[in-house]
Amino acid sequence: MTQVKLISAWFGGVLLLAGAVGILESGAADVFLEATRPDFQKISGGVLLLAGAVGILESGAADVFLEATRPDFQKISLGVAGIHSVGGPDWLGGRIEEVLKKDVKRSLVFDLVDLPGLGIQTSDIGNGVGDGSKAIFRQAAEKGVSVLVWGKAGLKGSDKEADVNMEGFVYDSGSDELVGGKRYAGSPSVVRLMAHRFADELVFRYTGEPGIARTKIAYVAEQGAARELFVMDYDGHDTRQLTADGFLNLMPQWSPDRRFLIFTSYRNRNTQNIDMIELATGKRWTVIALGGLNITPSLSPDGNFLAFASSHEGNSELYRLDTRTKAIHRLTTNPSGDLSPSWSPSGRELVFVSDRGGGPQLFLMSSDGSNVRRLTFEGDYNAAPSWSPRGNWIAYVCRTQKEYKLCVISPDGQKRMQLTTGQGVDDSPSWSPDGRHLVFSSTADGKSHIYMIDADGKDIERLTFQGTHNSAPSWSPAS
Amino acid sequence: MNKTLSVCGVGLMLSLALIGMPGCSKKAVQSGGDSQPGQGMAKEGIDSSMSGVGTFPDTSGQSVGGGLGGIDKNPSEERLGGGTMMAKLDPSGAGRQLDEMRAEQAASAAAGLRDVFFGYDSWTISEDGRQAMTRDAEWMKSNMSALVKVEGHCDERGTSAYNLVLGEKRAKAVRNYLVELGVGANRLSVVSYGKERPACNEHAESCYQQNRRGHLALKTGK
Repeated sequence: MTQVKLISAWFGGVLLLAGAVGILESGAADVFLEATRPDFQKISGGVLLLAGAVGILESGAADVFLEATRPDFQKISLGVAGIHSVGGPDWLGGRIEEVLKKDVKRSLVFDLVDLPGLGIQTSDIGNGVGDGSKAIFRQAAEKGVSVLVWGKAGLKGSDKEADVNMEGFVYDSGSDELVGGKRYAGSPSVVRLMAHRFADELVFRYTGEPGIARTKIAYVAEQGAARELFVMDYDGHDTRQLTADGFLNLMPQWSPDRRFLIFTSYRNRNTQNIDMIELATGKRWTVIALGGLNITPSLSPDGNFLAFASSHEGNSELYRLDTRTKAIHRLTTNPSGDLSPSWSPSGRELVFVSDRGGGPQLFLMSSDGSNVRRLTFEGDYNAAPSWSPRGNWIAYVCRTQKEYKLCVISPDGQKRMQLTTGQGVDDSPSWSPDGRHLVFSSTADGKSHIYMIDADGKDIERLTFQGTHNSAPSWSPAS
Repeated sequence: MNKTLSVCGVGLMLSLALIGMPGCSKKAVQSGGDSQPGQGMAKEGIDSSMSGVGTFPDTSGQSVGGGLGGIDKNPSEERLGGGTMMAKLDPSGAGRQLDEMRAEQAASAAAGLRDVFFGYDSWTISEDGRQAMTRDAEWMKSNMSALVKVEGHCDERGTSAYNLVLGEKRAKAVRNYLVELGVGANRLSVVSYGKERPACNEHAESCYQQNRRGHLALKTGK
């Protein structure tokens, strides 16, 4: 029972904190509590976090956020008690277990504990109903492990293409309850997806958020003189090529529904248009063909507007297309270059780059182009902004000591942090949908590759290892 | 402010509809590589559709609850597919594009056209650059059928997006200077490659210098 107290104390702590932040930042319009998302209503009962969150919303403080990356955030300790191979090759369970553990760790919701390291042997856990499993549960509770997950995996038949079965179980030591599990089946090609899906279910159960283990990252890879679009899983696996036209295809961004990428295409030769491609079919077409250089497209979170930079009237200016009426609204009127718009989560504001003051700096404006104000003042080169889906940070590339590194700044300009250091050019930061990670490109290891980093600058993980130049990553919305 | 901008937006839409009308006002204040006067927005070819805007699907549909079923005591089996992605690729065009690029490069080299090099984050043409372009302009005036694509390139430092804008400023600075030297503007098109098509791949100033360039590519195809 001590465990229950511990967990509720943790949630209570976060809520108190969120409330305090809400008061402090009550003027920041684009800072959101996750409970305002459309999936909010689907959260089932029993999640303490939810009840408290609704309380805050009803009290009128809507502009708050819960952030799992704060230093005082306490993760939920979780142990993976093995994915045991049953009726199939020995490696099968181990492979799923490896993927699942990495997903759990990357979620930043859980603290992955080393069960054997705590002296807990888990081979007898079975279906979680026998005396052997009871003993394991007791040990886990004594060692402060809040959640135990484990599973079984096997093949349905004997041939290579036989279906894979996986069953996952969850035990919650706080409530001393075998809370249930999941059962998956599919071809051997979806083994990783089983682990990702199970990991997302765990995150969903304990936070009410869908998790990021099934998200994808679009990026640009060099192929000879061409740059083509690719999509990979968020952990760098299962890479698929999307375009093969031999021209430049640059800076892809996802549509809010994950079905399309929108990007700059050079296949017209004379002007650089903005194209869309449908992932499921490969169908591709041009959406912006105004003439000139048309770059950095960005769809609003509701999909109703496309912001982009275009030089068709001379120099690079920002425009906003109403995707339903096709009306184009010019947002900037300035002799300098304006580019790289990124939407606030509410769609009410845009952050963008302008060199109207000399070097590139970040500016904010309302989504109709009014109320322009400069956001960055530190350093002479700040570019490539990306507004966090939680609203609380804007990530961007800052030049410091002649290197191009990642920085984050709060939309009110009050807080600023440099996330990366060292040599190399970091570029194109893009947030995970949970706002806890960034993906970006860097030449830190020589060639340009794709990396993931926690939003607080910890735990850089390299995602690509093939190819000569990988760049412009864009993280998909959650499914 | 608000009003001015929306009036400007209407002007833009009108000019989209009536090709040939000048775009939004304020053209006079363009600076740097962009000082070419009278470059109407519509002239560079809105030919793919009347408005220059293609069809747009509804992309707003977000799934609710992440498509997750939730953890429960008696889970039913979920069958997982291999995902909806992706379509088969047709790489046949890639080779043609590469051939075309090689042909352009060979033609430029054969004509003796010279590159113009720039300083860091600059699109100002140096004295060396002026000399190179004087010879390039002479060649173009004695080869009146030649069409040139002026490419703007950048070194790897800085962001991809900002370098595309910088590359366009360089390309336009070169184009404008060639026009000053008497080359017909209708024979010159501009394209920015930013840092996406470097001549040199080392992380060193000697290499960066080669990449900060305006390159004249002789058009061989369309």
